[in-house]
Amino acid sequence: MAQLLNEIPWGEPLLAPDIDPDWEAELKRRGGNGSELDRRVAPSPWLREACLGMNTGRACAISAHLFNVAALVTSQENACRYCYGASRAYMQNLGYSESFIRRIEQDVHLSELNEKERALVAFGRNLARSRPRPALAERDALLRHGYTLAAAHEIALWIALGCFYNRVSTLIASPPERGYEQWVSAKRVKFLLLAPLMRFQAARRRRGKPDPAATAEALRAGPFGPVLAPLAGLPGAMIMKSALDGAFASNVLSRGTKALMFAIVARSLDCRASETEARRLLAAEGCSDAEIDKSLASLESARVPGTESRLLPWVRDTVHFQTARIQGRTRELAAAMGNAAVLEAIGVASLANATVRLAMLVE
Amino acid sequence: MNDSAAGWILVGALAFALPAAATWLWARRARQAEQLHAETRRRLEQLQREFERFAPPDLVERLTEGRGDVAPQRRQVTMLFADLRGFTSMCDRLDPALTVSILNDYFRHMSGAIGRHHGHITELVGDGLLALFGALESNPWQGRDAVLAALDMRAALAAYNAQLAAKSLPQLQFGIGIHSGEVIAGVMGAGELNKFTVTGDPINVASRVEGLTRDLGVDLLITEEIRTSLDAGFHLRPMPPTRVKGKPEPIQTYHVESKDA
Repeated sequence: MAQLLNEIPWGEPLLAPDIDPDWEAELKRRGGNGSELDRRVAPSPWLREACLGMNTGRACAISAHLFNVAALVTSQENACRYCYGASRAYMQNLGYSESFIRRIEQDVHLSELNEKERALVAFGRNLARSRPRPALAERDALLRHGYTLAAAHEIALWIALGCFYNRVSTLIASPPERGYEQWVSAKRVKFLLLAPLMRFQAARRRRGKPDPAATAEALRAGPFGPVLAPLAGLPGAMIMKSALDGAFASNVLSRGTKALMFAIVARSLDCRASETEARRLLAAEGCSDAEIDKSLASLESARVPGTESRLLPWVRDTVHFQTARIQGRTRELAAAMGNAAVLEAIGVASLANATVRLAMLVE
Repeated sequence: MNDSAAGWILVGALAFALPAAATWLWARRARQAEQLHAETRRRLEQLQREFERFAPPDLVERLTEGRGDVAPQRRQVTMLFADLRGFTSMCDRLDPALTVSILNDYFRHMSGAIGRHHGHITELVGDGLLALFGALESNPWQGRDAVLAALDMRAALAAYNAQLAAKSLPQLQFGIGIHSGEVIAGVMGAGELNKFTVTGDPINVASRVEGLTRDLGVDLLITEEIRTSLDAGFHLRPMPPTRVKGKPEPIQTYHVESKDA
């Protein structure tokens, strides 16, 4: 049973906000909201872009309503106090009743959702939870409920991106947006009157057109291209691709360490497609098959430099976690590695979790 | 006012009052249903929390959600048996309440160490425990996890013994045996008493290996199957091959001395 908002334990933030006036201005210009999390990921260029993309990205095959419901169940399933609180407040802001939200949280079978919407909720919970990770057959179940192929892929993409964002927030222990949550709660009656207008505006913000730049060929080029290829045409596809390209191009952590982190998450979730791709990246770094096997069996590698070796057992624990415990472990990591390295590691681990979950579309 | 006007007023009043009453009744019913649902939910959560004292939270969640993935299946599982040495004779000397308190504290420390390494305790029998790794879901690092848990248990026992010594209470010693193999995992039992556990020959071997710790004078033994899952960072001492009940050939075990930091 997924936890409710007030049941999620949440530690003190791991990182202090980094106020960069240029980035704040850029955030505003591009429709970001300068959240607690935006300020904490600001020192990492690829990670802050990915988080901004998550907040401002658009969908072309699913409605804003489905988008909101998927975001709520993903954040609840990942026990992310930050995102779950914000998702809830956002839905209240749009005029969703407390009882509607509560029924989705507690028992989707009692909610006012129709069968098609319930299928999305069940799929979202299964993919976020990944115990075990859903396979292509579960995407086909969405198709049988009347979703188009593009819609099913877009749902999987946004749930995977939700898993990414939820992990970044959880591992940083980003302070909940309590000001926003309380403000929404206080102004509920006003929102009820303005709800249709606000829902219309919110839907317009999320509504996108197919992205002609996101061709299968373009998505296939770069790390984990085969996993991204089914997202061709979707406006959110480039968020994932840019994040993967940026993460592997960054030099804060060694490329081999990052590829090994992906391989460990892939093995945890029993994902051959992702492990194969991670092995390809490791081979390009000069690792032999035997070396990779040994590293994956022992969660240690002679090639991983100094303090980065701590990331290998830690990343495995980011797949399924108890919030308080993983926040404690990440704090220990920060004490040993420093803030810049730990922020990068948080981004890579979160992205690995998203990518391997998304790989259900190719297995 | 004539009768006809009064009649129209009455009709008008009824036309207003009846829908209003129906709406009020409907809203009241909806509120009652909502309250009933909230109360049912609260009781289910309470029941689930109570249930989690007896079975791993993951398993409770699967059972309460009616998911079919607790159906019996063959799995590769690592089993860790731990047993306190000389505790039965200690029980005879100590006050029963104190004995239970020591035992409970011991189990609490051991359970913490096992949980930290992705295992869960499935059985407590007297002063012994059986922990499983990889029984509920696939775990490619189960052998390593079990040995790390055992090393953590060793450290936790040392810390707990220091507390006991400070209170002038007798100290505890344990033996741990670890083995892995393919078993049948699932909910087993009869009638009122069911539990998630494993069955198969490897569990007997794990139990026998735990028994060997006494004969070989060490606290932690693993089998060859576990050794192959460990890297060079674990310091192992091979023990003389020993015959155990139910096995035609002597089995090779290793004492786990330590692991590189």
